[in-house]
Amino acid sequence: MKKFTLKPLPGDHLHLVQPHHLRIDYRKELNDAQYEAATSVNGPHLIIAGAGTGKTRTIVYRVAYLVELGVKPDAVLLLTFTRKAAQEMLRKASMLLDSRCEQVSGGTFHSFANSVLRRHAGLLGYEANYTILDQTDAEDVVNLLRTRLKLDTRERRFPRKETLFDIFSRAVNTLVPVPEILAADYPQYLEQLTDIRMLQEIYVRYKREHNLMDYDDLLLNLARLLKEHEPVRLTLSDRYKYLMVDEYQDTNRMQSEIVRQLAMKYRNVMVVGDDAQCIYSFRGSTIENILSFGDQFPDCRVIKLEENFRSTQPILNLANEILRRGTLPAPPEGEAG
Amino acid sequence: MRTYTKELYTRKDGGQLPQLVSTENENMQSRYVVQKILELREQGIPLEEMAVLFRSSFHSFDLEIELTRANLPFRKYGGYKFIETAHVKDVIAYLRVLENPRDVVSWNRILLLIDGVGPRTAEKVVDDILKKRVGLATEFKEAVTATTKFWMDYGNYPDNIRSLFTMLKQVAAPSVPPAEKAFHVMQYYEPILRARYDDHLKRRKDLETFQNITERYKTVDELLTDLALEPPTESVADIEAPGPEREFLTLSTIHSAKGLEWSVVFVIYALEGRFPAMRAAASDAEMEEERRLMYVACTRAKQHLIITYPMNVYDRESGLILTKPSRFIEGIGENLLEPWVVET
Repeated sequence: MKKFTLKPLPGDHLHLVQPHHLRIDYRKELNDAQYEAATSVNGPHLIIAGAGTGKTRTIVYRVAYLVELGVKPDAVLLLTFTRKAAQEMLRKASMLLDSRCEQVSGGTFHSFANSVLRRHAGLLGYEANYTILDQTDAEDVVNLLRTRLKLDTRERRFPRKETLFDIFSRAVNTLVPVPEILAADYPQYLEQLTDIRMLQEIYVRYKREHNLMDYDDLLLNLARLLKEHEPVRLTLSDRYKYLMVDEYQDTNRMQSEIVRQLAMKYRNVMVVGDDAQCIYSFRGSTIENILSFGDQFPDCRVIKLEENFRSTQPILNLANEILRRGTLPAPPEGEAG
Repeated sequence: MRTYTKELYTRKDGGQLPQLVSTENENMQSRYVVQKILELREQGIPLEEMAVLFRSSFHSFDLEIELTRANLPFRKYGGYKFIETAHVKDVIAYLRVLENPRDVVSWNRILLLIDGVGPRTAEKVVDDILKKRVGLATEFKEAVTATTKFWMDYGNYPDNIRSLFTMLKQVAAPSVPPAEKAFHVMQYYEPILRARYDDHLKRRKDLETFQNITERYKTVDELLTDLALEPPTESVADIEAPGPEREFLTLSTIHSAKGLEWSVVFVIYALEGRFPAMRAAASDAEMEEERRLMYVACTRAKQHLIITYPMNVYDRESGLILTKPSRFIEGIGENLLEPWVVET
C-alpha cells in the first residue's frame, strides 16, 4: 500500500500550554542565567555551567519546563555520563512536576547506542543478538587471540592482555596512533609494533565475525549507522526532537558525532558542561567538543552560569585567578563576555 | 586553542583567604595536614566534611601512614591505598621474612615472584625453611641475622632461589638500617618489577616513595608496625555499622573528586614537577589540562582551602630536587592566597 505522510506544521508539538498557565514558578526558583537556560526551548544551546553553579538543578527544571509546555516526554532524550545521573535528574523532575517526567528517555550514550543498535544491527552486518563485551570480556578475547597467534611464546616479552586492550581502546577513543601511545607509556614494546598492530586488526575482525561489540564499538557503530543510513537517522530525529547532553566537556569524538547527527534535522539540542573542568583527555574526552560546538551550530545561544552556590568569595577569587593565568587567550567568536 | 571565560561569584559574604603552606619536606607536609585536620575537627567540623586531594595516587602515601598513626580513619578514592598495591606488598614481604622467618605468607609471595618457581617448588622451599632453618635459628623470637645457622647450606637450592637468599643474607644483620635493607631489596626486585608489570614506570614512583619512608625509621620492626597498623579491609558490615565511630576523612585523586564538595579541602603536593606532573611540560595541551585539574581541586572547597607543598623533594627519575610551588599558584598575590610556613 502506498503511503502519504502529512508534513508537521511548524511548532505542532509545542506551546500547547500558555506560559502563564505554568504550574512551576521558574522565575522565582531560578536565577537569571538558570532561568534563561531552563526556559529555552528551540534551537541549539550551549550552557557553560561553572563549578557549583546549579547545573543539575537547571537541567531538572528544563526537563520539567519542556514537559509542562506540552512536549511529549519521550520526545526528550537526556544523555548523561552515568545511568544514575540520568535517573536522579528524572526523579527530581518528576517530583517537581509530575510523573510524566519519568517517561523522558534518559541514559548513557552507551545504553542509548545499544537500544538503537539492537533494532538496526542488520544494517551494519551484525545480528540483533550481538553480545556486548565489558572490559574484562574484551581483555579475555584479546588474550585468546594473543595465545592463538603464539605471541605468548616469543623470545621477547609481549604485552599483557590488559595493556593491549588499553592500547587498542585508547587508539579508538583518542585517535592517537598506536606508535605514539607506545612511545608515551609502554616504550619497552615499541619493537613489537608490527605484532601489536596485527593483533589489533585480528581483534577487530574477530569481534565482527563472532557478533561481538565492546563498549567502543557501541559508539563507533551508532555513529556509523547515523552517518550511513539516513532513514534511521531521520526516524530517530523525529522521535527525539529535544536532545540534552550533560557533561559535554567529557564527551569523546564519537559522542559528539552522535549528537551532531541526531540534532541535524530539528537542531533542538542543548549541551551542558564546563570547558574549565575538562580533565579526562587520557580517556579520550576532548575539550574541542565543547569549544567547537559553536562552529557546528553557528546560531547556538551561549548561556553562562556563573553564580556559585558552594564556595566563599575568597576561594572563588583564587579559582578565577588560576584560570585567568592560563595560556589560552582569545575567547571564541560570538562570545559576549 | 580558545576557551570560554567565566567569572564565578557568590552572593554570600565573608570567608577566609585560601592558604598556601610550604613545608620543609614531605613528611612535614603530612604531619601538618594531620595536625590541621585534628584542629579543625576540634572546632566542630566533622571528618566527613574534609578532604585531601592530590594529582596522583602516590602523593598521599606518606600521609596515609601519618593518618593511621594519628588514628584518623580515611577512605581513599581513585587509586589504591599505598600498602594494598601489589608491588609495595612485594617489597614489604622481603622485609617481613627478615623480621619473622616464620611468615609463611610472605615467603610464599617472594618465592612465587621468582621466574620458574611455581606453587609446588615454593611449598617445598617453605617447608624446608620452617623445618630445618627456623628450627636451627638460635633464638626463637629473634630476627634472622647474618650469622645464624638459618643461612646454612642454602647453596643447594636452585640458582634463582639461591640469589634470593644471598640478597637476604647480605642485609639480614640488625645493624643494617631499614633504608639500606630496602635499597638492596629494591635492587633485587627491579627486574621482577619490570617483568611483571607493563606499567612498571608508574609503579616505580611508589617504590621511590617507599624508599623515602624507610629513611625515617631506625628499625625495620617500627617500620613494619606502622605499615601494618593500617586497618584491614572493611567488610560491608563494618561500613554500615551504626555509631559515632563511623566518621572518616576522604582522600581522593582530583579526577575522582569531580562534582563533589567539602567544607575543608587540602590540596597537597602542589609542587612543580609533581603537579603539574613532569611529563606534562612536553605539551601545551597537557599543561592546560593540569591547570584545569588545579581549578577543579580548588572549586571543591566550601569554606577552607589549604594548598600545601613540600620544599625539598628528590625526584629519582630526573635526579632533580623539586623545590618550587606549582606554576599554577606561584606568584599569586597575598591578597588572594595567604602564604604560611610550617616550623618545628
